[in-house]
Amino acid sequence: MTLKQNDARVKTPIANRPWFIYVVLSPIFFVLLGYVIYPLLGVFRDSFFVNGSFSLAYYKRIFNTSGMTNLQAIWNSLYISVLSVICCGIVGTGLAFLLESFEFPGRKALKAFAVIPMALPSLIGAISFDFLYGSTGIIPRGLKAIFGLSAVPFALKGISGVLVVHTFTMYTYFYLPVSAALRNADTSLEEAASGLGASRRQVFGRVRLPMLTPSITAATMLVFMISMASYTAPLIYGIDRTLTMQIVLSRTNGDLGMASAQSTILAMISVFFLVIMRAYEGRRNYSGVSKGSAIHRKEVKGRFTRALTVAGSFLAVLFLMLPIFVIILISFSANGKWTTQVLPPVYTLNHYVDLFTQTKFLLPIKNSLIMSLAAAAGNVVFGVAAAYFMSRRKFAGRGIVDKLIMLPWSLPGTVVGISLIVAFNIPTIFSFGQVWVGTYYILPIAYFVRHLPLVYRSTCASFAQTDASCEEAARGLGANWFFGFFRVVLPMVAGGVASGAILGLVQGVGEFVASILLYTSKSMPISVAINQQMYSFRFGTACAYGTLQIALVAVLLLISERLKGDTASGPI
Amino acid sequence: MKKSARVLVFLLAVAMLISGASLAESKTTVTIYTARDTNVIEYVKPLFETAYPQYELEVLNMGAQEILERVRAEKVNPQGDFLWGGTEAAFKLAAQEGLLSAYTPSFAADFPAAYKDPNDLWYGEILLPEVIMYNTEALTEADLPKDWDDLLGEAYKDAFIIRGVLASGTMRTIYSCMIYASGGSDPEQGYEWLRKFDANTKEYAQNPTDMYLKIARQEGTLSLWNLQDIMIQKIVNEQPFGYVIPESGVPILVDAVGIISGAKNEEGAKAFYEFLFTPEIKLALAENMYQIPAQGDIPADKLPQWIQDLELKAMDIDWSVIAENEMTWMTYWDENIKGKN
Repeated sequence: MTLKQNDARVKTPIANRPWFIYVVLSPIFFVLLGYVIYPLLGVFRDSFFVNGSFSLAYYKRIFNTSGMTNLQAIWNSLYISVLSVICCGIVGTGLAFLLESFEFPGRKALKAFAVIPMALPSLIGAISFDFLYGSTGIIPRGLKAIFGLSAVPFALKGISGVLVVHTFTMYTYFYLPVSAALRNADTSLEEAASGLGASRRQVFGRVRLPMLTPSITAATMLVFMISMASYTAPLIYGIDRTLTMQIVLSRTNGDLGMASAQSTILAMISVFFLVIMRAYEGRRNYSGVSKGSAIHRKEVKGRFTRALTVAGSFLAVLFLMLPIFVIILISFSANGKWTTQVLPPVYTLNHYVDLFTQTKFLLPIKNSLIMSLAAAAGNVVFGVAAAYFMSRRKFAGRGIVDKLIMLPWSLPGTVVGISLIVAFNIPTIFSFGQVWVGTYYILPIAYFVRHLPLVYRSTCASFAQTDASCEEAARGLGANWFFGFFRVVLPMVAGGVASGAILGLVQGVGEFVASILLYTSKSMPISVAINQQMYSFRFGTACAYGTLQIALVAVLLLISERLKGDTASGPI
Repeated sequence: MKKSARVLVFLLAVAMLISGASLAESKTTVTIYTARDTNVIEYVKPLFETAYPQYELEVLNMGAQEILERVRAEKVNPQGDFLWGGTEAAFKLAAQEGLLSAYTPSFAADFPAAYKDPNDLWYGEILLPEVIMYNTEALTEADLPKDWDDLLGEAYKDAFIIRGVLASGTMRTIYSCMIYASGGSDPEQGYEWLRKFDANTKEYAQNPTDMYLKIARQEGTLSLWNLQDIMIQKIVNEQPFGYVIPESGVPILVDAVGIISGAKNEEGAKAFYEFLFTPEIKLALAENMYQIPAQGDIPADKLPQWIQDLELKAMDIDWSVIAENEMTWMTYWDENIKGKN
C-alpha cells in the first residue's frame, strides 16, 4: 500500500512538471543543435578567420569592386531567380487558368501530363534539355538537317538555358496551388460582385485575383529560393558566375574559407526569404464562406478552334514528355558513338544488362535507395516526435524550435554540404568522436537534415486536422501513453507522415547538389554516377541511370498520390 | 488510413533490410582516383585484374584538381588507395601536405631523379606535352597558329573552347606555364597574355567530354590540351582532331602516381603501382594509348614510331615556382580575367 502511494507520488508529478517536456524534447534538440546549428555556425566562423585570426579578408574580396567576380555571382543568382519566378508564374498561372476555365478537347490529357516535370530529378532534367535544345541538341540540329541550313537555327545556352530549365521544372509550384485555389474558389462571390454591377475586369482584379494571392505569393518565394539554390542548371549551361557555382569552384581551388564566406551570404539570402514567406503565410487568408461549388468551365466552340486546341494540347504534351523520351532513347544508344549525327546512330541493350548484372553498376542505385530510406526512417522518427510535441504541447521556445526545424528547408544543398564538411572533418560529440567526412554516414545525414522539414510539415498538417480529444479519450479509457500514441494518434496522422516521408525519398533519390560534395567511392548515389558517366563520354550509361531514376521517382509519386486519395476518403 | 500505415511500415522494413544487407561486404577492392582518359582506364583495368585476380579495381574518374581536393578533404578518413595521374605541381603540394605515403618501388634504382620525389612519395609515370589542339575538318595547314603568341591574334577570335580551368590539372598547368614564360614569378605580363587569350576564348567547357564534343561539332575549332588525350581521341575515338607543337617549346608535364597516405588497401595499391611500370605495360600503353613513359629504360628503337617521330622542345620552366604560385595565380585569373575580355 505504501509502496503504491510512493509510486504514484513520484510518477505523476515528474511527467507533469513544466521542465519535463524539455527532457522528452532533448533528442530533438540534440539533432537540431548537432546537425543544423553547429555546422552552420562552423561555416559562419570559418568565413571570419584567416589562418586562425579574425579577419574580414574574405568579405573584402567578395565585395571588392575591382574584380567584381563575386558581386557578379550574387547579381546573377538574384537575376536568374527573379526571372525564374516571372517565367514560372506566367506559365504556371496561365496554364492553371487555361485548364480550369475552359473546356476543350485535349484538356484532360494536358491536365494529366502537366505535372510530369515533377518526376524529373534536377540533374537529369537539365541534361535532357541540353540533349534536346542545346547548340548540338537534337531539335536544333534536326531542323538544320531538314531545312539544309548552314547553322543551327536556335540553341539554348547560357542564362536563357538555365531559365528554360527552371521554368520547366518549377512551374508546377505555381500551377498546382493556383489551380487548386481556382477549383475551390467560391463562385458565388464573383456572381455577387457582378450582381452588384462590377465589370468583368473588376471582378477579376478585385475578387478573383485577391483570392489567389496567398498561393501565388507562397509559390513566388518557393521558386525564388529554389532558383537561388540551383546548381545543376548553371553547371550544365556553364554559368560559373552564380553563388552556388562559385562556392564549389572555391572549394575545388582549395579555398575553403572563401567557400564558407560565399555560403554564408547565400544562406543569409535564403533565410531572409524564408522569414518573409513565413511571416506572410499567417497574414492573408481569404477563405470563402461556403465550400466552393464546381467552377463552370467555358466550352470552346467552333470546329477550327477546337482542332487548334487539339493540336496545341498535343504539342504541349509532347513538349512535356520529350525530356523523358530523349533520356530513354539515349539510354539505348552505344557509348561514345554519338558525335555529329542528329540522333544516336548505334543502339544497344547493354547498358541495362550491365546495370542489372554487374554489382558495381547497380551499386549507385542501391546506395541511393539505402541512404534515402535510412534518412527517411530517421525523418519519420524525429519528424513525428517533433510534430507531436509542437502540435499537442505548449512550452516556451516552441516558435524557435519550429523555425529551426524548418531552417534546412531554405538552405541550398551546397550550403548544407559545405557546412557538414566544415563540421565533421574533425571528431565531435555529434559524430560520436568520429570524423564523418569521407565515410558512408555523411550522405544519409545530409539527406536527413535536408528532408526533415518535409516530414515535419506534412505531419504537422495532419495533426492540425485531427482532434486532440481522441488521444485524451483513449487515455481516459485507461490506455497508457504508448498505447494511446501508437494505436490512436499515429494511425490518425499516418497519411501525412507517409506522404512527407515519400516526398523526402523522392528528393533523396534525385539529390545531386549536396551529394557531389560529400560522396565517397563507396557511397556514390545515382545522380553522381550520372555525372561521372557524362564526364567519361558514356551518355548511354548515364541515361540508363537517368531512366531508372525517373522510374523510381515516378513510382514513389504514384504511391504518394494513392495515399492522398486514401486520406481524403479517410474517416476524419 | 490503415493502408497508408502499412505502406509506411513496409518501407521502413525494406530500409532496415537493405541497410543490414549492405554491411556485408566482401572482396578486396583497390580504389583508384584518376584523371586519366576513360580509354586508358578501360584498357588497363582488365589487364590488371587478370594479372592480379585477387584485386578488383574501383576507379573514380575526375579532374586532377578535384582529386587533390577530395584527398585533402578525406585526409583523416582516406577513401582512395592510389592516385593515378596528376600534375607534378599537384603532387608536390600533396607531398607537402602529407597526403601521400612513401613507397620505394622495385624499379627505383635507375629512375631519373628529375621525374620523382626525393622521398619516394611519388614517381612520374608519363611525360605529357601540352600542345595546341584543333579540328582537322575546320582548319587547314595555312590557318594554323605556329606559336603561343599567335593564339592572341584577331584571326582566332572566339575560336577556342577551353576545358574549365580551375578543376583541370592540365589547364591549370598550361596557364601557369604561360604566366611563368611571360615574366617568371612576376605574373603581371602573364595576366596580360591570359586577358588577350580570354578574349579569344568562346566558351569554358565543364568537362573534357564536353570540350571534345564542342570541338568535334565545330562550335569552336581550337583548344589547348595534352598530347596523349588528343591522340586517344583522334585515333581510338576517331575524332577529327590534330595538334600543333608551338615552335618556342611546350610545357612538358611530368604526370605522376603515388599511394595515398593511410590507404586502406596499401598492398593492392603497391601491386597496381608495380604493374603500371612493368616494361610490357609501359610499351603497350605507349603504343595503344599514346603515353610517353617518363622512365627512359626502354631503348629508343623499341619505342613506337610516333614517339620516335615526335620533335618536342621543352619550355624552360622552374616547376617549383609553379607549384608555389599556382593557386594564387588561378584564383586571380578566375576572379579578374575569366570571361571579362
